Amino acid sequence: MACMSSTRLLAAPHKPPMRFIFMHRGNGLWPKVMVPESFDKALLQKEQKKQPFEVDLDNHELPAWMSPLAKHKANLTILQGLSGKMCTTGHHSWCSSLGVFKANERLSSIRWATVDFELARLFPSPAEHIELACFPDGGGNARGSLNGIATGFSARGPQQPNYAFGSPRIALDELFKSVSANQTARTRYELERKLLAFVAKNEGATADELHGIEKAKVQGYADSIQAIRERNRKIDGMAGRIRKHVPVLDEKYLADDVSTFDRQVGHTEVLLGALISGLTNVIAFTVDELGHRYTGITGIEGEKVNMHDVGHNKSFGGVDATEIRARCRKHHMTLVDRIVTRLKSVPEAGGTMFDNTMICYFPDGGEAHHSHGTEYPFVVMTGDNAKVKLGSRYIRLPDYGQAGHKTLGNWYTTLLNAHGNPIDHFGAVDTGLDKFGINQLGAIAQFQS
Amino acid sequence: MNSCSSNGTAVGDFAVRDQPQVSNVASRRFASLWTMRRPSLLLATALILHLSCGAQQPKDTAAPAIDMHTVLQRNCIGCHGPDKQKGDTRFDTLAQLATTDRATLLSRALEMVQLGEMPPKDEPQPSAADRTQLIAWLTAQADAAGGPARKDKLRHPHYGNLVDHEQLFSGTTDDAAYTPSRRWLVSPQIFHERVMDVFKLSGRDRQNKQHSSFVGVTNPFLLTDHSGVRYYDLDSLDGGDLLVMLGNAKWIADRQILMARLLGGDRQVEFPNPKDRWKPRSLPKSYAAFTTIIKKSEKPTLAEMTAAVQEQFDCVLRQPANAEQHGKYIELLRSSIALAGNTAGLRQMLVAVLLESDFVYRLEFGAGPPDQHGRIKLAPREAAYSISYALGDRRPDAQLLKAAAMGKLATGQDYAREVQRLLADPNYYRGQVDPALNGKHFRSNVTNHPKIIRFFREFFGYATATKIFKDPPRSGGIYRNPGRGTTATPGRLILETDRMVTRFIEQDQHVFRELLTSDEFFVYHDKDNDRGLQIIAEWQQTYERLKDTDWKTEPETVLADHLDFLKGIKSLRVQDTSRPGELVNYMHFFADYFGQGIKPFTTHPWAHGYTLHHAPLYNLPPTPGIGRYGSWKSSKYRGDKIATKAFWDYPTKQPFRIKNRMGILTHPSWLIAHSTNFFPDAIRRGRWIREKLLAGHVPDIPITVDALVPDDPHKTFRLRVEEVTAPNECWKCHKHMNPLGLPFESFDDFGRFRTEEALEHPDNLIKRGNGKTTFDVYPTAPVVTTGGLSGTGNPQLDGNVDDAFDLIGRLAQSKRVRQSILRHAFRYYLGRNELPSDAQTLIDADRAYVDSGGSFRAVIVSLLSSDSFVYRKPAKHKS
Repeated sequence: MACMSSTRLLAAPHKPPMRFIFMHRGNGLWPKVMVPESFDKALLQKEQKKQPFEVDLDNHELPAWMSPLAKHKANLTILQGLSGKMCTTGHHSWCSSLGVFKANERLSSIRWATVDFELARLFPSPAEHIELACFPDGGGNARGSLNGIATGFSARGPQQPNYAFGSPRIALDELFKSVSANQTARTRYELERKLLAFVAKNEGATADELHGIEKAKVQGYADSIQAIRERNRKIDGMAGRIRKHVPVLDEKYLADDVSTFDRQVGHTEVLLGALISGLTNVIAFTVDELGHRYTGITGIEGEKVNMHDVGHNKSFGGVDATEIRARCRKHHMTLVDRIVTRLKSVPEAGGTMFDNTMICYFPDGGEAHHSHGTEYPFVVMTGDNAKVKLGSRYIRLPDYGQAGHKTLGNWYTTLLNAHGNPIDHFGAVDTGLDKFGINQLGAIAQFQS
Repeated sequence: MNSCSSNGTAVGDFAVRDQPQVSNVASRRFASLWTMRRPSLLLATALILHLSCGAQQPKDTAAPAIDMHTVLQRNCIGCHGPDKQKGDTRFDTLAQLATTDRATLLSRALEMVQLGEMPPKDEPQPSAADRTQLIAWLTAQADAAGGPARKDKLRHPHYGNLVDHEQLFSGTTDDAAYTPSRRWLVSPQIFHERVMDVFKLSGRDRQNKQHSSFVGVTNPFLLTDHSGVRYYDLDSLDGGDLLVMLGNAKWIADRQILMARLLGGDRQVEFPNPKDRWKPRSLPKSYAAFTTIIKKSEKPTLAEMTAAVQEQFDCVLRQPANAEQHGKYIELLRSSIALAGNTAGLRQMLVAVLLESDFVYRLEFGAGPPDQHGRIKLAPREAAYSISYALGDRRPDAQLLKAAAMGKLATGQDYAREVQRLLADPNYYRGQVDPALNGKHFRSNVTNHPKIIRFFREFFGYATATKIFKDPPRSGGIYRNPGRGTTATPGRLILETDRMVTRFIEQDQHVFRELLTSDEFFVYHDKDNDRGLQIIAEWQQTYERLKDTDWKTEPETVLADHLDFLKGIKSLRVQDTSRPGELVNYMHFFADYFGQGIKPFTTHPWAHGYTLHHAPLYNLPPTPGIGRYGSWKSSKYRGDKIATKAFWDYPTKQPFRIKNRMGILTHPSWLIAHSTNFFPDAIRRGRWIREKLLAGHVPDIPITVDALVPDDPHKTFRLRVEEVTAPNECWKCHKHMNPLGLPFESFDDFGRFRTEEALEHPDNLIKRGNGKTTFDVYPTAPVVTTGGLSGTGNPQLDGNVDDAFDLIGRLAQSKRVRQSILRHAFRYYLGRNELPSDAQTLIDADRAYVDSGGSFRAVIVSLLSSDSFVYRKPAKHKS
């Protein structure tokens, strides 16, 4: 392992890291809306019967809500047929869809680090991992504050939830405080630095007096504090670059009552600032959660839309639920477009930053509002240097219970294996698949490059 | 090793170094042992080893000299030397191996000799003296080659049994017992108690928080999921813990400041998160030290800052700051106030104290002069905490602290007196065994000493059943996996096992035997016996009174006509005539039971949150689900479309006998916990018995082994296990597990007793079910339940067994099993593996158990007043 690390360190100046963005959303993502309208009868029949097939997207028109991605079609994969019945499905799923286990609000349900954290460990960065969220304000993780820092949907390890920034303002304040012009933020920043210095010195002195395993018990703690200080020092050292990429947001994105659509735009700008400045290489973005009440939806901006009601087909402001879903999805695709376009504009290692980026957009609970986890449709955007064979394709994998069927665990194993983690299988097994005699372990061979 | 070196002829010590480092004559001579084919007399003479350090701890007296070469030559080199290398192993080239390889080989060789695997049974066996010498020599060599890493490894629970059982209980060891001085990371439960201590919660405030967490506090500690004692003194804080601690400290400090402001009468206090408005009803008066600084417009005086620092030390570290700490924290407070003002500066100090690692460590270093063995007694205050944390999760009660302060916690007898007093106290530690099991109709059982129950939970490992996910249709649709807000079926089963354990702990007679052999179980049983009997009597009375009325067709009229009577039946909770549908439900429910001459479970199945369906896992008849009766809002009866089943005649008075069950090892919770997602896992079950009941050890799976049972549609799981473990290299370990685990093939992976095994393979599917009302059908094959018991040390018990019941019956009679459980109790109460020097402690605990007629409390008193518990020995410093 030491050898691997040093190789990576040596290679770092020449080879940019991969970046991963996991954008997940609540209320289910219907498999039927993923299908290009230009599919002919034969393809549609296959799709309806959920038979495995692949087609090139070049000859097809994207579904209307994906139109913001039309200019990036070469980087787009529509991936259908992954199941996730080993996850908590239905209304709320917490970190199930990223961890591939049955998670709930109890910390004890978190069995291991989620896939985004595993990837972040392969591509270290000063902030390691950043999570942004449009928190639920009813149901789900309802104890958090909409605009604060609260338990997120990723996990650092067993029983270790991650914390997410709920609003663009708090994310901006916290992530870019080292270069903040605001005096209060500067003072807070200084206090935090002094606190860590004090604790590091205190614990280091205690450790110095100890020996053997007793020393290790305190030294590890002291070293961890030093590691955070070191990380902070790195961030301080990057001040020039960070300052250059601090997102500049209009006041409306920073207001406490920012609308959901604007909150998502604001988060996307923070996400881009964090990625481009090099603060992190992995971002989890909870675009929404079922318990979030939407505002700012195109055409019904003034309505406060309860997404749970939308899940039960209730109309708002004269717009039916299916259309509300479509407008939200389309807005989400404008966010993806914003990310891709911006990253394509940043030169990196003879190409652009997007070459080294992968974006996954998917539902946190599966195929429907009341999902069973039989399908987790994915919109995947991949840069040229991503080590998975996807391409501009519509891919439907074998259906649940059919030979060759694949799960979220297989998909994440593929990503991890491709980027340097040789894990045999990521995630829990689906006990219901066993009766079909399917080997559900390992990566998806067809995506391995 | 140090004392070995000091004895002068420390050849063994040299021999473990890497070959290039060997630089003196003695070591060269020793190294040549491994390469010579026929050792010369000269070399043999040079190989006289002094093995005073052979055991796992140094002795102060010189041991007799041992001719190690002769022992090796006689017993090992023939098969593992220059002529033969059985198992690709040779010892003649040992000195040429890299240190890590040598450590691995020596450790493996040691395990084989300790397990009695080497020399093989069909070869001449070494004398007892030779074997002892060989073990001692290999231990010393392995320790030296493995260095600190090996020593650390041996401190882990899995390696506890490597200390020789016979040696521990032989009575021949007279070493003075002690526990190494240590920091011991708090358990998850103690951590929660400590956070409550920071807020100085008492009375109702404390009770309210007993079973619920603080919104802003994440418990950074977790225990592993395996069977066996898990809470050891080995863990340390790491980077992940620090991040959590940082978040916790900030939230706690903010809440302390909020409480201090409220104490000062500040009415403008706003909760930063409107959904997190927790504060205690009773604010701690001592927080006034914080209030003073917050309210002051100018900078605080030194005295005010001192008061605040000392208050936070008292809250967090339970002791005053010493002069050095005081100086550091005053400086921090002063500089922070200068930078950010009084409140922000105060917060900085509060957070810093909360980040002291000693907030989450238990300190056991001892005080006073060492005795002739170099041991120091726990300081009285440390002793008070150690005793209290052994018996529960709370800090010591006032009487224990008083005893410490008055000098009455100085001897083992003092400890015994206090432990007996606290064990007799029904209130101080009283609480639920595991609040996580609580559900709508269930509460984890409350007992005077939940921590004792937790020992048996860990020892048996049945609580890990919640971690094994199952495919519900395979259970006939009755199994519910844990999910949001519920531990579902395994949770109910664990709770029922807890009840069984609690019963025998409270009876405190022949505890181990009862736990292993009792056929009396609790199933469902959400009310005590008296309440249950009363409900059944009331329901039966209602049924008899109304059964001949028109309740099916005219429920409204029947309800109105009998309203006064029904209001008198308290368990029906009828208040008016608004719920005729519920009357219909009740009467159908009663007809299903009383009408058939049997009694129903005392909670009706349409109760909100009803989740009880698991009786068939005990091979008991089913109980109806809500679907049979429908909602109380409707008079419609759905049961007439559902085939009538023979429901379970519920035994209101519990515990009750269940056939084909015998103790915890046949409880569905234990059987599920020791199964895979799909199979019963005889290997895991056998390994548990070998390690937990027989104090045996099974080596780790070699990394080259792909530990998978192959698929074969035509063979039972047992056959497939037997085939895959039959090769010699597998069998040498599996023979310690398979014969003990295979008798449990009588039970499937849901814990159901069976005589036939379904050959669940896609190729065998006879009929596909829908998974809800119909289920997959496969052909079956008879279950074979024979096995074998070995390792009890009693030839009357060892031998072939017919089935699990035969096996359990023999285990329950075994002295070794009793002593093995005691060894695990030692680990639980001491937080570490036993050392050879703990022999007398274990012998005393064993005697206490036997003399008291099987009282586990007697064991606890014995352990907690032993030298192992009372004394600490500082680690030797390397210069």
